Amino acid sequence: MAGRKAYADVSLCKGCGLCVEACPVQAIVQTTQLNEKGYEVIQVDADKCIGCGSCYTTCPDYVYEVR
Amino acid sequence: MIQTLRKPDRIVQPCGFCGGCGHGVIQRLIAECLEELGISDRAINCVDIACCFWTLDGMDLDGIAGPHGRLPAVATGIKKTRPDDIVYIHAGDGASYTIGIAETVHICLRDVPVTMIVVNNGVFGMTGGQMSLGTTLLGQATTSTPRGRNESSNGSPGDFLQALSQFDFEFAARGALYSVKEINRTKQLIKKGFQNQMEKKGFSLIEVLSACPTNWHLSPVAANKRVEEVVAAQFPLRVYKDRGGMSDG
Ligand SMILES: Cc1ncc(C[n+]2csc(CCOP(=O)(O)OP(=O)(O)O)c2C)c(N)n1
Ligand code: SF4
Ligand code: SF4
Ligand code: SF4
Ligand SMILES: [Mg+2]
Repeated sequence: MAGRKAYADVSLCKGCGLCVEACPVQAIVQTTQLNEKGYEVIQVDADKCIGCGSCYTTCPDYVYEVR
Repeated sequence: MIQTLRKPDRIVQPCGFCGGCGHGVIQRLIAECLEELGISDRAINCVDIACCFWTLDGMDLDGIAGPHGRLPAVATGIKKTRPDDIVYIHAGDGASYTIGIAETVHICLRDVPVTMIVVNNGVFGMTGGQMSLGTTLLGQATTSTPRGRNESSNGSPGDFLQALSQFDFEFAARGALYSVKEINRTKQLIKKGFQNQMEKKGFSLIEVLSACPTNWHLSPVAANKRVEEVVAAQFPLRVYKDRGGMSDG
């Protein structure tokens, strides 16, 4: 998994918080930034991300690509 | 080579479900299984009229919606006339175990080679969170049992997956979505349901414990915790029957 990182399309995010809970290294934070649909979206800290894929597996809205 | 994780191509629209809803994860697991097994082109999505209905437009697959609770009858008709297609049902607990329980019993008894996925969130989600006779837990507050489900006036829920598994069909198992581990295990159960169909085996019933944060009036994280700690204690996660043999790994 070395080198793999999570990329988030936050236009799809509903701010449900499930990925924040699932990330094993706390690389995802909830922000107060709104997307076009009016949801407060998450943000990924690429430096912390270990590319494990837990966010992809957990997100019900397909926000993540891990590559 | 490092594997890239990205949404299957057959999911073509943003999800219409509420934030944190399990239906979206299940739609993705279904699409991933179809893609990995190479059967998307011959899959037919039989959707109930409930929250799962969003998948009819959300997925680029052949699909059909049928009257609430009657998708086992619809799917039976399709499979009998198109035996080489991969026919699956995406329905809720209210449809499958309460309103349409007769149809669910009949597809089990007929042992039709269809894959049925029952999303058990313990309520009538789409219509606003009313009690579902078969699955709402005792004490659970719902729109129609605001002070909590009471045995003397509302009756008790039952483990329908376990009860149905007494009949002679192919495969019955229950998964959940409250952790990465359980999501991955649920995917294996769904995949097994599709593989049974590819191998011309009988009926496969996969129930998935799922959260309805909106109608449970819980945050998605708290709703998942409730599934893990409360719901899974009442409705155990395991393989209930497997004629062909699958270890519960
Ligand atoms: C014959 C019939 N009865 C009732 C309804 C109204 N109705 C639509 S969805 C639904 C309940 C949905 O609950 P469930 O099957 O558990 O699906 P969920 O939305 O919770 O995923 C009901 C009662 C209907 N559409 N048709
Ligand atoms: S890939 Fe893993 S480490 Fe990276 S953000 Fe997602 S859950 Fe966190
Ligand atoms: S799980 Fe998906 S929708 Fe929910 S907060 Fe994370 S990125 Fe947003
Ligand atoms: S009402 Fe419940 S089951 Fe329906 S989309 Fe919303 S959270 Fe999901
Ligand atoms: Mg339901």
